[in-house]
Amino acid sequence: MRTVKTDPELYRLEQRVLHHAKAMGRSLPEIRFFILDSWEFLSLLEKYVYPVSPINIWEGKRVITKKHRVESGQESSLYYEVVQTGNPSYAYLNATNSPMMQASVMAHVCGHCEFSELNVLEDSNSDRTEYVMYLVKKANAARQQMGDKVFLQYWNACESLVPLLSPHSQFNLARSISSDSLQHHQEHDTYVPEDAKSDLMQPFSHTMNRLLQSETAEGAWKKEMRKKIYQEAMSRHGYTLKAPCQDVMGFLCNYASVSKGEKAILNYMTTVHATHDFVIRTQIMNEGWAMYWEKKIMLELFKEKAVKGIIDYAKVFSGVCYPRPYYMRNPYHLGFYMWNHIEELYRDGKVCLEYLEETDQKKKENWNRGNGSDPVKAMEHLVGTITDYDFLRRFLTVELIEEFHLNRINKREAQQIGLSPEDVIKEDSYWVWIDPQPVKEEMLKFFTHFYRPRIYIIDTDFQDGGLLLYHRDDGRRLKKNWIKPTLKNLNLIWKGPVFLISKNWLYSFSANLFKEAVITEVSFEQIQEKISNSEQPFRF
Amino acid sequence: MFGEEKISSNESEGAFTEFVEEQLDELIENVVNEGDLTSIGDRGSDIIVEMDDIEVPTFVYENEGGSGQGSGKGPGKEGGGKMRFSLPFNKLMELISSVLDLPNLTKEGKGKIKEVSYEFKTFGQVGVILDKKRTFKRALRTNLGMGTYNPQTGQYDVQIRRRDKRYKLPERVEKPKFKAVVFYMGDISYSTYGERLELEKRLVNFTQNWLDYNYGPGNVEHRFFVHDMDAYEVQANDFYNVSNMGGTQAAAVFELVFQVAFNEYDTTGTNFYAFYFGDGELFDDDARRILETLEESMRPLFNRVGIVEVQPGRLSLLNRQVATRFSRDPVVRLSEINDKRETIDVIKTLFGVQ
Repeated sequence: MRTVKTDPELYRLEQRVLHHAKAMGRSLPEIRFFILDSWEFLSLLEKYVYPVSPINIWEGKRVITKKHRVESGQESSLYYEVVQTGNPSYAYLNATNSPMMQASVMAHVCGHCEFSELNVLEDSNSDRTEYVMYLVKKANAARQQMGDKVFLQYWNACESLVPLLSPHSQFNLARSISSDSLQHHQEHDTYVPEDAKSDLMQPFSHTMNRLLQSETAEGAWKKEMRKKIYQEAMSRHGYTLKAPCQDVMGFLCNYASVSKGEKAILNYMTTVHATHDFVIRTQIMNEGWAMYWEKKIMLELFKEKAVKGIIDYAKVFSGVCYPRPYYMRNPYHLGFYMWNHIEELYRDGKVCLEYLEETDQKKKENWNRGNGSDPVKAMEHLVGTITDYDFLRRFLTVELIEEFHLNRINKREAQQIGLSPEDVIKEDSYWVWIDPQPVKEEMLKFFTHFYRPRIYIIDTDFQDGGLLLYHRDDGRRLKKNWIKPTLKNLNLIWKGPVFLISKNWLYSFSANLFKEAVITEVSFEQIQEKISNSEQPFRF
Repeated sequence: MFGEEKISSNESEGAFTEFVEEQLDELIENVVNEGDLTSIGDRGSDIIVEMDDIEVPTFVYENEGGSGQGSGKGPGKEGGGKMRFSLPFNKLMELISSVLDLPNLTKEGKGKIKEVSYEFKTFGQVGVILDKKRTFKRALRTNLGMGTYNPQTGQYDVQIRRRDKRYKLPERVEKPKFKAVVFYMGDISYSTYGERLELEKRLVNFTQNWLDYNYGPGNVEHRFFVHDMDAYEVQANDFYNVSNMGGTQAAAVFELVFQVAFNEYDTTGTNFYAFYFGDGELFDDDARRILETLEESMRPLFNRVGIVEVQPGRLSLLNRQVATRFSRDPVVRLSEINDKRETIDVIKTLFGVQ
């Protein structure tokens, strides 16, 4: 691993790329480029793009498997770009790439770094890599304290939790936990409690309202009881659930009773994996934004002849932005063309009611009522206000689905996925096309479950100190023989009984004993309502 | 912030390798406890070990994920992927010997025959094979000192002078080379088929592997002898295939083996091993002749003589007779096998510390 300054050619390219990015008005954090050889690159990826990591068998397994795949020719060791955003950002270049490729990677990285700075989820933070390096030291110290065996056991238990980390969920910590600490209050939180909302809506005298509103004795008693339960929970635990909590790992990291060593492992895991939630929620916008600026910067570099090989670049670019069917989600392709489309919409003044209501197709096609304002400003505003869900919901139209070939599937693949002939609306010798109408709906569905089960904490004091989890039913069953080991791992971290409700089954793991029992199904809405009323969400 | 250090996962790879080795130990222990040595495979060849893949168990939908052994404790072996490892023959035998607690065989003839090889461990200023890495390092240091290499001022010339050159020098390494001959003796008059044959095959296979491992491949000669009333040598493949109904004289094969060992080999530099497999039934003066051969001829010459009664019957007297003189002998070892689970005990008796 060496800094880009050790290579004069790359250093010159870096300067040119940053110059053009700044000239285009990009707001970039400090970016530090490093050059790695292929094996270092492979290791870096398995360390989740941090230069160091605590010793763990899972990383070892992944690296050994990848090395074997690369050595046996099953996989390429060429990677496009890797960057850890934040301020400063750390970007890594593969030593085997050509100067043209390195320049395109640098330009691409600029797009990512800016997106991280501007986005609505406020991904960028100061000294992220440095903080993780500090956490690695803490985790390594924990290994010494805990001993290899216990450390490994706890680490493995934490690995089970990683998919249950959802810091940006609608039901994240800030929105689902009332705590006596200031920790979550500092986070940006748009949640406003119901009663606070109604207060805001009524600017009249509060005393008068009270006098006019007739409160029954029963209502007053219920209110007092709720208050009492709330105060009891706060004094016993220091927190209480105000809604189901989907950020299970975040919750355990903050509220499970853990030793110093265990805390170090949980902190490391949570910090390292927390950015994945941001990536998955903004991948199309993010990659599209990076491709959009990469292309602009690269064209400038070719113009001033700072790099050669425009044909090769065009080949690489078209390969990266190759259209894939909607379920494969090529974020580079979709994002890039979406941003180009949005730029055109703003430039021609098409983001307005008049355009939407215009019924004359010819007029719509020739619409050009731009007021000369810079469309990039509007695009930056979008980055700062929405995620992929809204990006697609607002701007992906049926016409674009056709234009981007999102409803076009290779015949062989169509056969593999079992596409029925009734679904096909058009075909040629190589492709079949399906109806574009439901495609958008299907793509939006991804953002509700991200192809994984939705698990929530719904009670933290179930049957005297138990952690009760709830699997929100979406018609699919959980893999049964993984429930027990996962609950066992959760039990190790929670240090108390753990329970899971999935459909009409209640699974529990306590004192090394796994049990399952049939229960009456409860809906998520019922549970939500009970929690908001400070009632027990589920009784067994 | 970062120095020039390399990003690597060596330690994590090591941790995973250790984990796999622990699993292998368990696997070997199971193999050994079950007495199923068939997985050792062909002589001297690496074996492919398959074990359940490890994956982190988490809440996933049905038909997703693997076997769920994430914590190393999870259940669910069905439907999961497999990890395949190639285990070198020597490593396998090493593991087996450590599990069985078998001592290395005592070898004779040490120092008489040498295996000579050359290793390039030292370096000098003259030689034939240039060590490019060392040479470049020295040259870089010299150039930095002289100021001819200075990246800050754009000077990147690295000139290699004669005194910077380092050559790899060969070093003569002598390793003692031992030679061994193993005689396998089988009784073809008893019913060697079915389970009996399997038991015998298993023991012979292990013995071949164990001696190959101890002496190194190519240094062990395996010879096969059978007997009914007479004794004669057969090819390895025929050892299990020939059979004859009728009378039997086991003493004949012991005598023949001794004659071959004495007349065909340099007795001062060769390690001799002999293993007899049969039902142990004796006729006439068999026992007396065998005891004589063992005591007077074979015991002084051979490193080890093993006599194994395979599924002996009421009339099996061979071990009982031999035990009258060799009950706890370091060279002559007596054992019997009735079931495959006894394979390990037999191996321990034949090769363990007495």
